[in-house]
Amino acid sequence: MRRRSPALWAAALAGYAFLYIPLVIVVVYSFNDSRLNAEWVGFTFDWYRKLFHNEEMLSAAGNSLLIALVASAVSTALGTMAGVAMYRYRAKLLAVLVLTPIAIPEILMGVSLLIFFVMLNLRLGLASVALAHIAFCIGFVAIVVRARLAGMDESLTEAARDCGATPWQAFRYVTLPLIMPGVIAGALMAFTLSIDDFVITFFTAGAGTVTLPLQIYSMIKIAVTPEVNAVSTLLMLLTLALIVVATRLTPSLFRN
Amino acid sequence: MKRFASLLALAMIALTANAKDQLHLYNWNNYIAPETVKRFEEQCKCEVVQTYYSDNEELLAKLAAGAKGYDVLVPTSNAVQALIKGGQLKPIDKSQLPNLKNIDPAYLNTAFDPDNKYSVPYAMSLTVIGYNDQKIKELGLPTDTWAVVFDPKYVEKIKGRVTVLDSSSELFAAALKYLGYSANDVDEAHWKQAVDLIKKAKPYWAAFNASSYIKELTVGNIWLVHGYSNDIFQANLDAQAAGRPFHILHGLPKEGAVLAVDNMVIHKDAPRPDLAHKFMNFMLEGRNSAELTNLIGSGNPNKEAIKYIKPEILKNPAIFPDKTMMLKLEQLKELTSAQRRLRNRMWTEIKAGR
Amino acid sequence: MAARSDGRLGKWLVIGPPLAYLLVFFAAPALIMVLASFRTPGEFGGLSPLIENGNIDLNLDSYVRFFTDSIYAQIFLKSVWYALLTTLFCLLLAYPLATLIAKSGKKHRDLLLLLVILPFWSNFLIRVYAWMIILGPNATLARMVNGVLAWVGHEPVPLLFSSFAVLICLVYVHLPFMVLPLYANLEKHDQALLDAAQDLGANAWQRFWRITFPLSLPGVYAGAALVFIPALGIFAIPDILGGPEDSLIGNVIKQQFLETRDWPFGSVLSIVLTVAALAIAGFAAWIARGRLGTPSSAREARA
Repeated sequence: MRRRSPALWAAALAGYAFLYIPLVIVVVYSFNDSRLNAEWVGFTFDWYRKLFHNEEMLSAAGNSLLIALVASAVSTALGTMAGVAMYRYRAKLLAVLVLTPIAIPEILMGVSLLIFFVMLNLRLGLASVALAHIAFCIGFVAIVVRARLAGMDESLTEAARDCGATPWQAFRYVTLPLIMPGVIAGALMAFTLSIDDFVITFFTAGAGTVTLPLQIYSMIKIAVTPEVNAVSTLLMLLTLALIVVATRLTPSLFRN
Repeated sequence: MKRFASLLALAMIALTANAKDQLHLYNWNNYIAPETVKRFEEQCKCEVVQTYYSDNEELLAKLAAGAKGYDVLVPTSNAVQALIKGGQLKPIDKSQLPNLKNIDPAYLNTAFDPDNKYSVPYAMSLTVIGYNDQKIKELGLPTDTWAVVFDPKYVEKIKGRVTVLDSSSELFAAALKYLGYSANDVDEAHWKQAVDLIKKAKPYWAAFNASSYIKELTVGNIWLVHGYSNDIFQANLDAQAAGRPFHILHGLPKEGAVLAVDNMVIHKDAPRPDLAHKFMNFMLEGRNSAELTNLIGSGNPNKEAIKYIKPEILKNPAIFPDKTMMLKLEQLKELTSAQRRLRNRMWTEIKAGR
Repeated sequence: MAARSDGRLGKWLVIGPPLAYLLVFFAAPALIMVLASFRTPGEFGGLSPLIENGNIDLNLDSYVRFFTDSIYAQIFLKSVWYALLTTLFCLLLAYPLATLIAKSGKKHRDLLLLLVILPFWSNFLIRVYAWMIILGPNATLARMVNGVLAWVGHEPVPLLFSSFAVLICLVYVHLPFMVLPLYANLEKHDQALLDAAQDLGANAWQRFWRITFPLSLPGVYAGAALVFIPALGIFAIPDILGGPEDSLIGNVIKQQFLETRDWPFGSVLSIVLTVAALAIAGFAAWIARGRLGTPSSAREARA
């Protein structure tokens, strides 16, 4: 039985409250009978009805989800490698390359990626957006994985190698389980960053490529209607469901 | 990882396999009625793929960095000027635009595009004052002058309840007009006067805001704004729909205001210029042009559209200004890069609180 | 010490892919913009041609402008201050959250973690709008605060369109990026250490300050980096709910690209921002390593 102080509980609950009060407003206002996201007028399902007929918004949401899944998967893989490399081999150049995309203002990165893609004659579209997202997500994963590795006992890995395991086996069965919480934390961050990115996506998206943030930000000067609240609520639920399903199907991945 | 790679490949194939006739329209959001788009799609047997921007500068930055794939763009006049000078546009073939004759000649043959070689007027808006009639009447403030935004003796009564646009060109234009100069005045001394005027009024303003000011006005948190006429029109509709006790009205400053005319242009690398011309000709039809005005309260340069526009919108002098007001309206002109730099330096000073 | 024959190959298999990816999709484009900082802006946008009449048009104008005009440094320092405050408040809020999650049983841990990040899968804009509703002049919070102020005889203060609103939103938006790294670190802390300390007579505060906090420093540092560095360049939050003087360096940079069309100057500001952010992060890391003598560095010294 763990003794957890009531003070800790209170502070943590305050934290959750801080996180959720705005979210409650977001969900509640998706039923608001007003075009504006500003004051409660009345209850309605209209926005959800409108949403289901709004092909543009739905396909934008789908694009965002697809890009986020791909970008977070690839950047988690590359970021984990980078984190391990930074810790184990003290790769300095890699550390700089990994950290700088986090620091560099998004507008600069967006414009430069666009110029770069045009120079390469790369066709702009969903793929160009995904490539851009991966570039800035790698850093987030790498930093968390490296922090997780800090203080980790290398003797375990060495023992495994002494027992005859290949480097891949040592990684897969010794290192990876130990850093798994870091990898998962990194993956969650990468997914979150990708699904909500606007600036870089704006510049690297092709003609006809619309992601949800692009769609929503273009409404900023007119009215961000509760349809946006509705699509956000549904997207959150969908992503939550996807994760729950994934953890059920691959319990080994999440076992420590 | 393999699963994701194949998923990605499938998605790519699905997306690139779409070989239907497509017109790529890069436009402001909510700047074309959905019915209009549907009707055009039926008529041309093609698909209109819309992408959006919310600011001319976003469009300009993206094109300057080399993006392509768009057919029709809808920039404001000063952005058209920049695009023409930057060689980003394809000249239009007037023989494919018989409906061009529907446009009021007052809006054709402008200084930035003589003889309409590249652009065709689409819709317009004025940058005026929007206000909560109940609160402003209570306080007895004038609404036909920029003084209510800039003069401390008026603004102090609505301290914290006024917003101005977060756009250096728009705010400077209003300040210059108030001071009696042209909105396109480039005299540095006059600009300094405008900066002083703005700095004196700034302590009473709630925010520089171009994005969320309208909803704050509509719910009554903000009582007076420097904003766009079609936004103010929409705010009034929303306020009435929510049953609020006040109206949101337009205030037309007697010193004059900025007129923004948005135009249809064709990008130089447009994949389907033929469809682009079809679309432009379609939008030049009175009925199609009127649908946008009826939807969002935008001004309309199309003579043939007048008979399809709702009477209450036609009566609104902020949407269809009368002849005296027209004389006081100005369209914004592009600045040279040295002037832009100076303007931005002054703007930074204003916003940094120095 | 791994002196195996596959050592070098193994090393490059791990370093190679992320390095290659970042060199192509980050370093190359970034270099384009670094070069742009030495060029002249195009008259109507973009950049002037690099080679004009046979001469390469490169100059230091934009850099000179930045270093000779103190206003940019002023705004920059303000942004550093906001980012520091954001990081501090994020840390204070995130620590209890991360501790609770890390100490929870397997069943609840994943759910609690997901609950932290779930709100951030909704769109950024409507989350900010939700804050505008919470902080609006007619909403409960503002009325309460101004009620108290009126009772004390003070003028009402706006909660919305103010630095307060900007800070709250900054903290809100960055919170998960502090919670997740902290959690990843706290999760591996051995409860036995704390139990032993308690048995030896240490109270809760001593256990936290002497054992938990030092061990969690890599996580604290990671979280701080992932909050401070992005917070430094943010522009959307001041744009939407900031007051007339809440313009930050991110806003100035955005204006260079989306108003003045002065890409070279925008590049200069961005480069200075990036270098400064990395320098501050590096400096903080150096201090952290130097002051601590953490178990990790002892182990590294052994290896």
